[in-house]
Amino acid sequence: MSDNTSKEQNSIPTTKVERSAKFVKTGFKIGGNYIKHYSKKLFNPDMDKSELNEDNAADIYQSLSELKGSALKVAQMLSMDKNLLPQAYVDKFTQSQYNAPPLSGPLIVQTFKKYFGKNPDQIYDKFNIRSTNAASIGQVHRAELNGKKLAVKIQYPGVGDSISSDLKLIKPFAFRMLGMSEKELDVYMREVEERLLEETDYELEVRRSIEFSEACANLDNIVFPKYYPELSSKRIITMGWLEGMHLKEFLATNPSQELRNTIGQALWDFYNFQQHEMRAVHADPHPGNFMITPDGKLGAIDFGCIKVMPDDFYYPFFSLTSTNLFDSKEDTIKAFRKLEMILPNDTPAQVDFYYTTFKQMISLFAKPYITDHFDFSETAFFEDLFSFGEKVAKMPEFKQARGVKHFIYVNRTNFGLYNILHELKANVKTDTYKPHVEAVL
Amino acid sequence: MATIESIQKAYMDFVLTEGAQPKSVYVFAKKNKMPEEEFYRYFGSFDAIEQSVWTDLANKTILEIKTQEVWGQYSSREKALSFFYSFFELLKGHRSFAVYSLKKQPKGMSTPRVMEGLKDAFENFSQEILNDGIESTELTDRKFFSKRYKDALWIQFGFVLNFWINDISAGFERTDEAIEKGVNVTFDLFQRSPIDNLFEYGKFLVKNGGMKERMGL
Repeated sequence: MSDNTSKEQNSIPTTKVERSAKFVKTGFKIGGNYIKHYSKKLFNPDMDKSELNEDNAADIYQSLSELKGSALKVAQMLSMDKNLLPQAYVDKFTQSQYNAPPLSGPLIVQTFKKYFGKNPDQIYDKFNIRSTNAASIGQVHRAELNGKKLAVKIQYPGVGDSISSDLKLIKPFAFRMLGMSEKELDVYMREVEERLLEETDYELEVRRSIEFSEACANLDNIVFPKYYPELSSKRIITMGWLEGMHLKEFLATNPSQELRNTIGQALWDFYNFQQHEMRAVHADPHPGNFMITPDGKLGAIDFGCIKVMPDDFYYPFFSLTSTNLFDSKEDTIKAFRKLEMILPNDTPAQVDFYYTTFKQMISLFAKPYITDHFDFSETAFFEDLFSFGEKVAKMPEFKQARGVKHFIYVNRTNFGLYNILHELKANVKTDTYKPHVEAVL
Repeated sequence: MATIESIQKAYMDFVLTEGAQPKSVYVFAKKNKMPEEEFYRYFGSFDAIEQSVWTDLANKTILEIKTQEVWGQYSSREKALSFFYSFFELLKGHRSFAVYSLKKQPKGMSTPRVMEGLKDAFENFSQEILNDGIESTELTDRKFFSKRYKDALWIQFGFVLNFWINDISAGFERTDEAIEKGVNVTFDLFQRSPIDNLFEYGKFLVKNGGMKERMGL
C-alpha cells in the first residue's frame, strides 16, 4: 500500500514535467523556424509565410502526437480521448505563455499610461516595478494604496491575438492527424477558443470575480480578495493582496489531517456550490489558483476561466451521476443520446457497446458522490480511473469524437478538483450542495 | 508672425489634407499669409520641415523619459526600452503624418533624409546610455564592436518603425511586443554571452596549442 501511494504521487508530477519538456522542445523548434524564415526573407522579400506555417504546424503536430500517448491519461478518460486534444492545445498555449519572460519596467509603465493615462506611481502610493509572481497570461506586482496591500495583475501584450491565430494555424493539421471532419473538430476548438479569449478579457474577469466572490461569501473557510474595478482595465486587475501559501508549500509544512480535511472540504463546497447553485464554475482548478491563508482558510484568486453549464447539459449529465437513472437502460441511453455520447447513426451493436462503456466510466467518476463521505487519499480509486482511461484510449471505438462540447471544461474542472483533493489527502463530506436533478427525469 | 511650430503645423495640415507637398514655397507662404523670406528664415525646404518634426519628436521623448521618477533606477536596457515605448506612444498622435512622410521615401538601406536629424538625436542618446551600461559592466566592452552597438540599436529602431507603420492591431499592441522582444534580444547580444567565451577559448587554443601545425595546415 505504501508503495502504491508513492507511485501514484509520483506519476502525476512526472507526466507534468515530461509534458513541459515536450513543449519547451517544440518552442525551440518553432523559434528556429521563425529565424529560418526571416533569414530567408532577407534575401527574398517576396517570400510568403506558407512555408513557415507548414514548418511550425508540423512541429506542433509532432509534439502533440507524441503527447497523445504519454501525457494526460487520467483526464483522457472522461474526455473520451479525441475530445481532449484541444485540451492539449490549451496546455500548450498556457505553457508557452507561462514561460514568457517578465515584462520590462518600461512596458509596465507604458501599459498603465495606455489605460489610465498615468504612471503607476501616480496611481498607487507604492508600486513595485519588479514582479513577484507570474500569472497564466500575465504577471503580478505588489502595490499599496491608502495603507492597503494590493496585488496588481498585468497581462502580456498580444496574448488574445496570438491565441486565435495559433489555433487557426493548427486546425488543418489536427483534422489530418485525427481523421476527424472539420465540422466535428470545430465544435471543440471553438469551445476552447471562446474560453481562452474570455481569459484575456480582464474587465470581464473583474466583473465575474466580484459576482462569484459575493455569491460564495457564505461558504465556510473560503476567502476571496477584494477587487477594485476602478483600478482595473482591459489589461490590468487590481485586487487585495492575499497572504498565504501555495498548495505545495502548505503540504511541505506537514499540516494535520484535520486541517487538510478543512481545506479539502472548503474546496469541495466551493466547486459543488458553483456547479449546482450557480450553474457556472471556476473551470481552472489549478493548484496555483489557490492559497492557504495563515488562519487555515482557502483563498481563491483567479476567475479568468468560467464555464457556464446550460440546462441541456446539466440535467442529463448530473442525473447520470446522482440519481438511480442507471437502473433503467432505456432512460440511460436517452441521456447518453442527449449528451451526444451515443449518436443517431449508431448501429444497435454500437449503442450497446457505448452504453456499457460509458456507464462504467461514469459510475467510476461518480464514486465520490455515491456515499456521504469520500476519502481522496485512496490510491485505489485513482488507479482505477487511470487504468480505465488507458484502456479506453486504446479502443478503436473511441477514435471518433463523442460527447457535447461542454464536457471539455466540465471534465477539466472535476478532474482538477479530484487531483487537488488527492494531493491534500483530504477526507471530505460529499453530500453538501448536491445536484438538483430529481425534478426532471 | 510665423514661428517654427506654426509653420510645422500648417505644413502638416497641408500635406495631410492634400496628400502631397505644396507646389512651391511661394504658394505655401501665400496661403499662410506670410512673406516667402520669412519661411526661409526657419526652413530651407519642405523636407527640412519634415526633418524637424521627426527630430522634435525624438527630443521631446528623451526629455520626457528623463524626467520620470523611475529613470534613475533603470538599467541601460530599460532606458532604451523606455525610449522606444514613449516614442511610439508620442508618435501615435502623429500617425498620419508619419505614414505620409515615410511612405514617400525611396526604399533602401540608407537613412531617409527626413530622418537624419532624428538619427543624430537617437545616436547621441544611445551612446549616452550605452556608455553608462559599459561603465556599470551591465554591457560588455568589446574591441571594435562596442562602438557599433549604437548602430545595432538604430537598425532596431528602423525595424520597429516599419513594423508600427504596418501594424493594424488594436492599440498597436503588436508593436509593444516587437519592442519588448526586439530590444531585449539586441541587449542580450551586448551582454557577455557564450560567444565571448567561445572566442576567448579559441584565442587560447590558437596561442597555446599550435593548432594550425597539428591540424596539418
